[in-house]
Amino acid sequence: MKNALFARLMWMLLHVPGFAFAAGEPDFEPFLKLQDNVQSLLPKVRPAVVAIFTGDGTASGVIMSEDGLILTAAHVAERPGRELRVILEDGTVVQATTLGLDKTTDAALMQLNDTERKWPHVKVSRQVIKAQPGEWCFALGHPGGFDEKRGVVLRVGRIVKQTANSLQTDCVLMGGDSGGPLFDLNGDVIGIHSLIWEGRDENMHVSMAPFLRSWDEMKGSHVIHTWGIGSGGYLGIGTEMNAKGALEVVEVIAGSPSEKAGIKTGDVILSLNGEAITDLPQFTHAVRVRPAGEEVQLRLKNVSAERDVKITLGIRPKEEG
Amino acid sequence: MITPLPSPKVLILLLTTVSQLALGELRAPLKPEEMTNGNQTLAPLAALQAQVARNTALLMNAKNKAVATLTWVGKEGYFITKASEVPRLEECTVKWGTAPKAQVREIRRDTRHDIVLGQAIHLPEVPAVSFISSKNLSFGQWIVSPAAGKVLKIGVISAKRREIKGFGAAMGIRMDDKPSSASGVRIIGVAEDSPAAAAGLIAGDLMMELAGEKIRDFRRVNELIFKRQPGEEIEIKYQRNDKLGSLKVRLASRTKVLSNWDGEDFANGGISIRTDNFAEVLQHDLPLNPLDMGGPVLDLKGRAVGINIARVDRITTFALPGELFWPMIQQWIEADRHPPKAQPASVATQKTATATPPTPAAAAKPAVP
Repeated sequence: MKNALFARLMWMLLHVPGFAFAAGEPDFEPFLKLQDNVQSLLPKVRPAVVAIFTGDGTASGVIMSEDGLILTAAHVAERPGRELRVILEDGTVVQATTLGLDKTTDAALMQLNDTERKWPHVKVSRQVIKAQPGEWCFALGHPGGFDEKRGVVLRVGRIVKQTANSLQTDCVLMGGDSGGPLFDLNGDVIGIHSLIWEGRDENMHVSMAPFLRSWDEMKGSHVIHTWGIGSGGYLGIGTEMNAKGALEVVEVIAGSPSEKAGIKTGDVILSLNGEAITDLPQFTHAVRVRPAGEEVQLRLKNVSAERDVKITLGIRPKEEG
Repeated sequence: MITPLPSPKVLILLLTTVSQLALGELRAPLKPEEMTNGNQTLAPLAALQAQVARNTALLMNAKNKAVATLTWVGKEGYFITKASEVPRLEECTVKWGTAPKAQVREIRRDTRHDIVLGQAIHLPEVPAVSFISSKNLSFGQWIVSPAAGKVLKIGVISAKRREIKGFGAAMGIRMDDKPSSASGVRIIGVAEDSPAAAAGLIAGDLMMELAGEKIRDFRRVNELIFKRQPGEEIEIKYQRNDKLGSLKVRLASRTKVLSNWDGEDFANGGISIRTDNFAEVLQHDLPLNPLDMGGPVLDLKGRAVGINIARVDRITTFALPGELFWPMIQQWIEADRHPPKAQPASVATQKTATATPPTPAAAAKPAVP
């Protein structure tokens, strides 16, 4: 069970001459500046971070407007019109209702039911492109569930990678963080915690792009199955988790690579290039990290049988999104 | 229960280049050395790294596997570490830099704080650490700790300091609750990655004796285990296919065993055997492993403010604040340096740093309350 990243680090340390016993005073000025920056923002942003009871577990979210709009993850909200319990930092429980969601990017909106109250809130960063690899950021959330004695949990780290709809950071996340905010050093929200891979540096967040792109649809409680322009590989299908917990095709776009390959609504997606598909964000991610032109193999299941289909990923048509 | 973020078991190498159709000016993804705990990021802290490497060493078990990190606390080789990771401390050896492997003498254990004081024998003078109070640490403050005995890791105080209640010990078995006519209690399930599994118990085994007591009823087994602490070893005599066997199970925190029954912990490298029942902890987000427990937590000025005491899950490590254990440890060292005069000479020679290593058999374990 050796951590691959850790092993790599160890190896590198052995290959950096003079690293182990370098002399001189440590230069922690940049670290202290960063610390002051984060610590000065925490009291301002913490009250806007909430825990969300989803019925069978807890997740996180962040209030982004005075009248109580909450950003969270689509796999937390699941569908529009659900009334869920939300816990504020001081343990107060209030009610909120899910609005629209973009299941392909894992972005979702909720509305606190009491719109008269002036809610503590944070700003959404509209400079998506600024969340570049190497920038420092910090994550807040309720990993493992709401715990009043512990309070909200902080992680400070760096952006590792930016894609069309997501950010990867080394702020380590875990279950219960879903839907919680990632902040830049201005205290603006730049990401919403979405999923993790095994590595400690493999923490994925929805970037603000899907939110900004689909803001009106999401506020209007729409469920979005199509993707915006500028993503990676394109299949041209809309999918969602069915009642059996499998990923089902609900829409095949005319003229898309999927239609040419004979994918039909009602097909269940079992695997992509042999990797078992367990949920939508994971499937979306697996498609998006591959460039247009790459051939992938999907294993599908319909009422009668399982079959393998080879599809060459296309480029997203401009008019979609 | 918690809602896990989906964590696919199968990993894709995320090295595929994404075709950036609309994003021309995007910087390349970070290389490992550029990440928060990459050596390029931490290069300015090289002096701190060197200090941490000198102040700590690895404890290797009888099979020469690193099991815990120690922090030097007295120049004659006195050290402290997390007690529950080293139930047989005197079978361990100390690996410190280029010094030859040193034998270990156990001096005293404190089950409440899960700390043990020991001494490495025949080492040259070691650079001891003095702990200060952690009271000035604030939420979001940078701290550093050693990983794997030498690599510096950085992170922040990530939550409120607090007490962590204990929920007793467990070994991770399901038992047949039907009273058997004969003696013994049958195991019908063993949790993945649990103390029982690690010790070699399997479903179907009939437990005959626990800690020297004959057992007939599963409730008695629960009682016997529940009153013990995580980290303690308990001897089990059992029957498998008409053959009798005996083994020792090292109990873990009940919370750890229950939350990880099917082996689904996200801890990247496992979690400590004891993760609860601490009077007060500092919580931080350093990416450490169970074998890093026992190492010091330092502020950026290099002052030791606590000792890492439990790797809890993927994002959580607990540290004991210095003010909680340091006065006690100092008293113990003082008492060991100046043993009571009325002792037989043979014992007294064993109490000095230059004495021959004691044979493990002769070293009496302190009774644990």
